[in-house]
Amino acid sequence: MRVANKTIYDIIKFNLGNITEELNRANKVVATGKRITELSDDPVGLTQALNIRSSLSNIEQLGRNISMGRSWLTASESALTQVQNQISDARALCVQMATATTGSAERASAAATVQNTLEEIVSLANTEVNGRYIFAGSKTDAAPFSRDNDTNVVTYNGDNKAFTMKIGRDATVEVGSDGEAVFGDIFTTLSDLKDALEADDVSGIQAAMSNLDTHFDRISTKISEIGSKMLRMETKEKIFQDLNITNTERLSKIEDADITEAIMDLKAKELAYKAALASSARVMQLSLVDYL
Amino acid sequence: MSGLGLVFSIAKDAVAAQRYGMDVAAHNIANVNTPGYSRQSPVCEAKDRFKYGGLILGRGVKTTHIARSCDQFIENQLMQQKSSFSCLEQMDNYMQVLEGLFNENSGNSISAMLADFWNLWHDIANNPAGASERIGLYEHSISMSEQFNALSADLSQLETDLSNAVSAAVDEINQITNEIGLINNEIVGMEAGKATANDLRDKRNTLVSELAEYIDVKTFEQSNGTLTVITARGCVLVHGNDSYDLELGGDNGDRVKWQGSGGATADITGYITSGKLDGWLNMRDEIIAKYKLDLDALAKEFIWTVNQQHSQGVGLEAFNTVTGTYAVSDNGEELGTVDSGLDYYNKISDGVFNIWIYDSSGAVIGGGPTVITVDSDSGGTSLTSIKDAIDAVDNISATITTGGRLKIDADNGYTFAFSGDTSNVLAALGINTFFTGATAGGIGVNSKIGSDNNFIGAAQIDDDGTFASGDNTNALAIADLQYTSMDIPQWTCDRINGCTEGNLTTTIEGYYHAMAGSIGIKAASISRSKAFNEVMVNKLSEIRDSISGVSLDEEMTNLIKFQHAYAAAAKLITVSDEMLNTLLSVK
Repeated sequence: MRVANKTIYDIIKFNLGNITEELNRANKVVATGKRITELSDDPVGLTQALNIRSSLSNIEQLGRNISMGRSWLTASESALTQVQNQISDARALCVQMATATTGSAERASAAATVQNTLEEIVSLANTEVNGRYIFAGSKTDAAPFSRDNDTNVVTYNGDNKAFTMKIGRDATVEVGSDGEAVFGDIFTTLSDLKDALEADDVSGIQAAMSNLDTHFDRISTKISEIGSKMLRMETKEKIFQDLNITNTERLSKIEDADITEAIMDLKAKELAYKAALASSARVMQLSLVDYL
Repeated sequence: MSGLGLVFSIAKDAVAAQRYGMDVAAHNIANVNTPGYSRQSPVCEAKDRFKYGGLILGRGVKTTHIARSCDQFIENQLMQQKSSFSCLEQMDNYMQVLEGLFNENSGNSISAMLADFWNLWHDIANNPAGASERIGLYEHSISMSEQFNALSADLSQLETDLSNAVSAAVDEINQITNEIGLINNEIVGMEAGKATANDLRDKRNTLVSELAEYIDVKTFEQSNGTLTVITARGCVLVHGNDSYDLELGGDNGDRVKWQGSGGATADITGYITSGKLDGWLNMRDEIIAKYKLDLDALAKEFIWTVNQQHSQGVGLEAFNTVTGTYAVSDNGEELGTVDSGLDYYNKISDGVFNIWIYDSSGAVIGGGPTVITVDSDSGGTSLTSIKDAIDAVDNISATITTGGRLKIDADNGYTFAFSGDTSNVLAALGINTFFTGATAGGIGVNSKIGSDNNFIGAAQIDDDGTFASGDNTNALAIADLQYTSMDIPQWTCDRINGCTEGNLTTTIEGYYHAMAGSIGIKAASISRSKAFNEVMVNKLSEIRDSISGVSLDEEMTNLIKFQHAYAAAAKLITVSDEMLNTLLSVK
């Protein structure tokens, strides 16, 4: 085929242009470390990458939620365990004071102990985490239990919606508690016990004893509930940690360039460019005019 | 003529012919780099012979004409391929700009901001009374809205740029067709004899090629040598020395029209199939139009979804006064119809909502909520009837602003809040909503929330009218919206049929990711087509140049050839001169 001079130069220009474009691209990949710099580099991969990034962000957030939930549950557990101890101490005291051998003086001092126990439990019921009361239902900004000094009556100021937190896409956990449901009328029981002790009322003491049993059982149930919730959250946390790792790996596979591969590619393109330049230079110099 | 005179005559013709040959070779050499030039060569013929004395003698050479090596078929093929290439080249350029707008590698990309938005609602659900969480959500929502606004504005700017390019191209096209008409005239004049106007034809081919880069053309050569140029829809651009112009017209001045003689116009916008105009019109009317509509659809659904849930909630305090953010165009029209002028009129259905009134200590007045009904019977509920119903409630008053918005004010010492809206009318009127606007260009954050972050509705009102600062029911519900699939409109745009609405069921983030992916796929496919086309153009160019291109080696050889022949012909004169002298010196 007849080759005009123009063809030679056009082809040189076109090929050099192509090679510089590829060289530029290889350079970009090495410089940014990312396979995908433009949407069009790998559109399907990019959509996957976007979805994974969104999942990762969500998982991180749920992880934060779980941390906060666990701190609430831990605080609840420890507060309730102490309440339990107080109750069993009070019950032991009841057993002691119900015997006929105790005198009113001992009963009077026991009444003072019971009053202390009552106030201690009120304080425990007003436990807060980071300024928010965990036994107040959803009214977490104010102490749920307040005791009237004169009448010794404890009123509940919270509400009955336990504070809930999201720990998964379709999973919520109650990390706070409805104080009324947890503590019931334990304060009335203790107050009555104190009055019974002061009045030397043995039947009153015994009635209080069986009430204390009921309260103890209820708090035990609550503690094991909290325990199983904490277990559930731990499991969820582990799952999220695994998901985090898997997703980060997947994201890296899609987005990140294999540096070794990228650099080899760059070197290959560089070599091709040099070769093209050399051959073009030689061809461009040939002409019949030199020989005439 | 015979005898020595014949030799002189032959020699004279020979010298002339070789000289023409050298002239043509020189012309070729000079034009070796001229684009669109077809190499010329002299066509020589032996002159008619004559009989003399029983012998048939030749009379030498004559140059009949200068031929142009040009295969018009290949030229036409090349022109069409270049036309396709120009179209794809322009589309590729603009798609790269479009890709850049949706750049997902920066932290300000919309997908990153959407993910953070939902996370901030989690944070509020974890600590509903926290001031820093509320400020965080508010500031982030402002940034995100601005990002949507900027993207929408950028798309609009691209559309304007494309329209400007089309406008400039139309002027250019008119100029070229005019010139082609003039050249047609010149060619007819020059070719009156048997000659071909080689260079003029080359020039005309170049002009047609330039024209083809802008718009698709078909050419036909008439018997008198003029070229007829036809474009989309069979509209004639050049015929003889008449040229017909294109203009911009239509409602928005963005349709390309052909002006016939006698004032008729034809809209050819949808029928242009290649050239830069095709590329620009594809980008403007099909691609960018579609993504603009999609982005607006996404924003509209996003705004509604968040607003609808947010209007069910209550902040840390009840309202003193509230003004709706969406306006009606007619106070008396039923709210659920398009005549009301509301952006979200189609989301309103029959239902009720509760208004709770609180006194200065926060206690509920009236023992319960006032229930306002929205229904489509008996003329339907208009803004006026809602206003009247609310106004009738003790301790609050309602008015309609001159802009068509509902305004509710509480009397001194009283506050109010809402719950249980099954009609969606509160969200549609923009009362107790989070976002304002209904498009990507118009999305913003409700100024009520801006004035006081306490109005971010994380809680919900209980059946007894109370609400707690630690209640996160509404915040949890809004955080759940991240996973909710909904029907979001998705558009397809076509230059001939306009834009048609389809539907995609997915989450908000899913829709945006799909949009980014679809832009990437389109860009990649256009890039590939362009590369393929470029190879075709190069191949055809090569073929065309192998026929019409100048090879300096060839021309150099020709020069030598003609030079020797010239020398030989000159020798002929010397020899016949000597012979004549010999004859004349005979005594």
